[in-house]
This record gives sequence, structure tokens and C-alpha cells, in this order.
Amino acid sequence: MTVTRVAESRTEFKLKSLPEDAISSVKFAPKSNQFLLVSSWDCSVRLYDVSANVERHKYSHELPVLDVCFRDAVHSYSGGLDQTLKMYDLNASSETVLGEHKGAIRCVEFASEVNAVLTGSWDGTVKMWDSRVPNCVGTYNQGNERVYTMSIVGEKFVVGTSGRKIFVWDVRNMGHVNQRRESSLKYQTRCIRVFPNKQGYVLSSIEGRVAVEYLDSNPEVQKKKYAFKCHRIKDGGLEKIYPVNAISFHSVYNTFATGGSDGYVNIWDGFNKKRLCQFHRYNTAVSSLSFSHDGSALAIACSQLDESQAEEPKPEDIVYIRYVTDQETKPK
Amino acid sequence: MGRKKKKASKPWCWYCNREFDDEKILIQHQKAKHFKCHICHKKLYTGPGLSIHCMQVHKEAIDKVPNSLPNRSNIEIEIYGMEGIPPEDVKEHEKQKTGGGKGSDSEDDEPAAKKKATPALLGPGPSTVSPGILPTPMGPVPPSMYPGHMQMNPMMQHFMQAPRMMMPGMRPLFPAASVPTSTPSKPTFPAYSNATISAPPTTSSAAASEPKENGEVKPPAAHSCPLVTATGAGSKIIHPPEDVSLEEIRARNSKYRPKPKPDAPAPSVAPTMITPSTSQAEAVMYAQVAAHMSAAVAAARQQQAAAQAQAAAMRRAPMMPGVVLPQMRVGVPVSVPPVMGMLPVMPQFNLVRPLQPGMLLPGGVMPMGMFPGGMGGMGGMMMQPRYR
Repeated sequence: MTVTRVAESRTEFKLKSLPEDAISSVKFAPKSNQFLLVSSWDCSVRLYDVSANVERHKYSHELPVLDVCFRDAVHSYSGGLDQTLKMYDLNASSETVLGEHKGAIRCVEFASEVNAVLTGSWDGTVKMWDSRVPNCVGTYNQGNERVYTMSIVGEKFVVGTSGRKIFVWDVRNMGHVNQRRESSLKYQTRCIRVFPNKQGYVLSSIEGRVAVEYLDSNPEVQKKKYAFKCHRIKDGGLEKIYPVNAISFHSVYNTFATGGSDGYVNIWDGFNKKRLCQFHRYNTAVSSLSFSHDGSALAIACSQLDESQAEEPKPEDIVYIRYVTDQETKPK
Repeated sequence: MGRKKKKASKPWCWYCNREFDDEKILIQHQKAKHFKCHICHKKLYTGPGLSIHCMQVHKEAIDKVPNSLPNRSNIEIEIYGMEGIPPEDVKEHEKQKTGGGKGSDSEDDEPAAKKKATPALLGPGPSTVSPGILPTPMGPVPPSMYPGHMQMNPMMQHFMQAPRMMMPGMRPLFPAASVPTSTPSKPTFPAYSNATISAPPTTSSAAASEPKENGEVKPPAAHSCPLVTATGAGSKIIHPPEDVSLEEIRARNSKYRPKPKPDAPAPSVAPTMITPSTSQAEAVMYAQVAAHMSAAVAAARQQQAAAQAQAAAMRRAPMMPGVVLPQMRVGVPVSVPPVMGMLPVMPQFNLVRPLQPGMLLPGGVMPMGMFPGGMGGMGGMMMQPRYR
């Protein structure tokens, strides 16, 4: 991949004192666009003050951290290869181990609707945790398939597994799965994000393709679902197809950004089937994306994930913060 | 029954087996996919039309319909929408519809299927345009001249005769094409039995992934998940060939494995001796958890939970230095990382193996027996009726 050098500008800048290994996840705080959590393969979780561009906190797991999320402005949850779910109090700088999975924890999400934490693991289960004390509320089998991605908005909770299954849950009633589906994409599921308006979800695969699907099983609604190709680069006669690693929704406009291993970030209007814009090419694969709560800033994590095992030396791991405009994110 | 009939009567494209809701769209599809001149992109109306256009305008012979299935690439047959399809193929198509297709979400997959089918088929397409026939004036032979043409280009034989007759011979050449043409009413991969049946990546890769799974003891996840490499010619998915997430592949790197603690006694596999008691306790716990869940899958889950509990006990066991039986450490590899259970793929399992003979038998055997059991359970889950 060619490395593009991009001048720092007011609309986009790099975070300072970044992790020393690949970045697994970036998440903006729920009610401000000042704070950003970053989890990394260097076993750390860091909290950045984006507006001042300083690292505020850092704590570690024993092994690489795969996902992190906020509960509120001062509490974070994180999990990773050490199979342990940690809660960290950012004010008191104290950590609590909430519990363990039997496999690496791939996803951590906070369900504000029920005030609980959800963790998805490669052990094939999702667990729900009391958000304050080490107490596992329930373990929910996901078809015995490793959990690759999950997303929650309100009560709608969608899980994507290694076998291209999709489980739709209602967090208020985890007694049974609401819907089981098979991914409409043929290749491995990479990322799922629920629309902020809860009507549906967007799903991406490793084969440069994104599907927009609706939760309402009414055939009229289901007719609207579709999929499209993206994050592909024609290189001479060969079309290189890249995994779509990250999706993040703009909470106000219901538009979404996708980030691929091709190093591009695209913003889409899913309801009108339009691409709103494409940013410049980043230095390496985009591994994670996060819009701030008001959609004014987008955190873009760039890390090579060994998609091709080709690049030497390894490109830098960088988090960019980009202040986006309405022109880039609002449906036209 | 009535519904199936209706399904079968949907317009479909003879060249690529794709179904359409409307014949108009089918005709548009054929013009764009199969009757488009690759040189000037003019859209013609039929196969012979395209052939004559290329001959007269560009002085190039085309012997195959672009983007067609290998046995359906005859450019001489005049097909326009549903008109002109050989009657035996119509029959066969109907048979396939009624026999193999009962899933209703087939239409949903169609767009993906189409996109997948075309790049893959590009491969055999252009490559068989043998340069030898280019200069001959016989390129676009009218049907009456078949015999002469056959001598010129033996390849054409395949397409002159009833396509299915040639299948056994063609199978190895075009594995991708074998599914749409073979007529078994019960397809091997029910998930892809209907509209998607013509999508090469699925079928070819599902077959291809088999040996790999056996060889590498892949996590028993992908029953029909394609190997990632399975794309058409002209495109390449930038992803390791194994259909496992990038994170899992990365996690196998030795630098991300837990380091054995220097002060604690080296983790030995011996404590697996205590597994039975621990695992039972855990199994009970999990059984209780399972009891709270819906009854439908509870049994399967319990089984799984028990298996997992064993796995966990096994994994956790090395962490309890108190119960290490000293004599058991002899010859035991020191660094069995606790992560092991997370990915059954991990080669570390071999480390457990040496323990099998002799007194460690119960503990040593456990992990080996455990996973097949777990897989069996999963297999059971997989085999359940498909979600509808």
C-alpha cells in the first residue's frame, strides 16, 4: 500500500502518545466529544482528551485488549485476549475485574437501557454483567460460534458470529433470541452496527461489501434491504478487495462511515443508497472508527492487521481525529 | 406446490442460471452481461448478434458468450430473454427448482450471487478464446457449418452437444460449474441450493476448505463458509486464506501469548488430574445457568457448557500451583498457555499429547476427547433445520 502523507490541518490531526502496537478499538464518550478511549494490542487502554490532545489515563491488561467501551464519562469496560472483563474508574484510577470468559473477549458494549455490560467472546457466548459489581447476570449461547462483532442501540442487540450467523436480541428480555439470521453476505462477517433509529443494521464483510438490513421482518420492509460493494481498488488488471473492518453511525443523520483495509474511509447515506464522501487514503488499514455523540468528530484508527503479511516495515499505528462537516455527513 | 410452480416460472437467464422477477430485467441483464461487446461496449441483442458484430466491426471472433457458465457459453444459440432456451434445459431448470429449492430467502441472496458469479466466470471465459481461430474466416460460423468448425476448434464440441452429456468430463476443468449443471434434487449444500447455486465461490471453496479443516483442526465454525481465497480471476481478497478473523490470526502470534510467570512454578499439565471434580462443579453451575435459558436448546447448551467447563477447568488448572503434583512435572513442556482453550486450532495441543501414555491417561486424554465431543455437539446444532 502506498503511504500517503497528509498535512495536518485544523479539520484533522493525529493523537499524540499513541499505543505501541495495533489499535483494536476507539470509542468516543457518550456525552462529550472531548474524551476518547483507545484499546490496543500493546495490552493498554488509554483515555485521551481529544481537545487538548493529551493522554489522560492508561491502564493495562495482561494480554492485548480487543475492545473497550464507556459506561459514563468516568467508567470504562475492556476485554481482550486475557479473557477478563475489567471495569476502570477513570476518576479514582482504580480497576475492578468483573469476570471472565472461557475465550478471548472480542466485543464489549454497554447497554444503557438495562444498565449492564455485554461481552461477546470467542468462546461462543455473550455474557451480561451487572455494571457495578462482579456479577455475571447471564450467559447466552450464540450458536456455539465465536462472536466476531456486536452492536447495541437501545434495546436492540445484534451479534455476528464466525459462521456468518446473526442473532438479534432484546436486552430487556434475554430469555430467547428474537431473530436468527444468516448473513446476506457470502463472506466472513467483519462488523455490524445498528442504526441509531433502531430500524436495522449495517453489516460488513471481509470481501469489500456492506449490507443494509432491516429488523422488521415484514416482507415489505425486508424488500428494502440491499448490499453494495466498496473498499476495492483496481490495480492494473487485478481488483483488490479489502475487508471492511469498521462501521460507525452518525447518531443524528443516521448516515455511517465505513473503514477498510484499503485505508479509505467512506461516508454513506444508507437510506438513499448514496455515498456522501470519501476521505483521503490513510497510511494503512482502518481498524476502527467512532463518531462522537453529536457526530461532529470522527476518530479513525489506522493499524495494519496482517491482512496481507506483506508490508515491511510495519506502518505506524495512528489515531486521527477528524472534525467532519454537515456536507460530509448529512444526506443530500 | 402451487408456490413452487410459480417460482419455477420465474424468468431466468440461460447463460448464468440467475433468476429475475421480470423478463424485462432479464433482457437488460443479458444485454449488459452477456451480449455486450468487450471492445466497444455496444450492447447487442443476442449471442449470434454479438458474434457477428465482433466479426464485422472488430474483425474478432468470439466463441463464447461472456460471463456465461462454461456449459452455457454457446454463442450460436439465439436466446433473447426466455425465448430460444433449449427445451431440455427448461425442464432441467424446473426440476432443480422443485427438487432442490425450498428455502425462501433465496431471492435475498441473489444480488450477491450475481456479483460473485460474474467475476469468477471471467476466468474460463476469455482464456478459451483460442487465438488459433482468430484469422480464420470461420469464426462466426452459421449453424450449418458446425462440422467444419468442430475440426477447427475441438473446444467447441463441448458446446455443440447437449451440455449435460459432457459434464463428467468437464468437472475437473470447471469445478465451479459443476453445481448448476448437475441435477441432483438434493443439493449437497442446502444453504445454497437455489438461486445461489450458480455462485462458484461458495461451492468450490466449500469443497476446497475441507482438507484444510481436517489438516489444521480448524475451529468447527464454518460449515459452508468459503475459504477466503475463493474469488474469481481478476480479483483478490486481501485477507489470509483461512476464514478466521484477522484478530484470531494475529492472536496466534507468540508475542501475544501469556508469559509463564517467573516466580510461580512452571505451569504443568499435571493438574489436569483434578479436572473431574472441578469440571463437575462447573458443569453443575453451568447446567443451572442453562436451566434459566429457554428450554429449546437447553440440552445442547448443557452439553456444550459441560465441555466448556472442562476446557476451562483444564485451562485454569495450571494456575493453581497448590495442587501441582510434583512428580507429574517430569518432562512436561512448561509453557502451555492458558489461551489454549480459546482457539482449538492452536498447535499447543500437541504438548498435551505426550502425557497420554501411562498414569496421566485420564487427564491427558481429556482434551483430546473433549473437542470432538464439543464439535459433535456443534455439528448437531448445525444440522438443525435452517433458520427461516
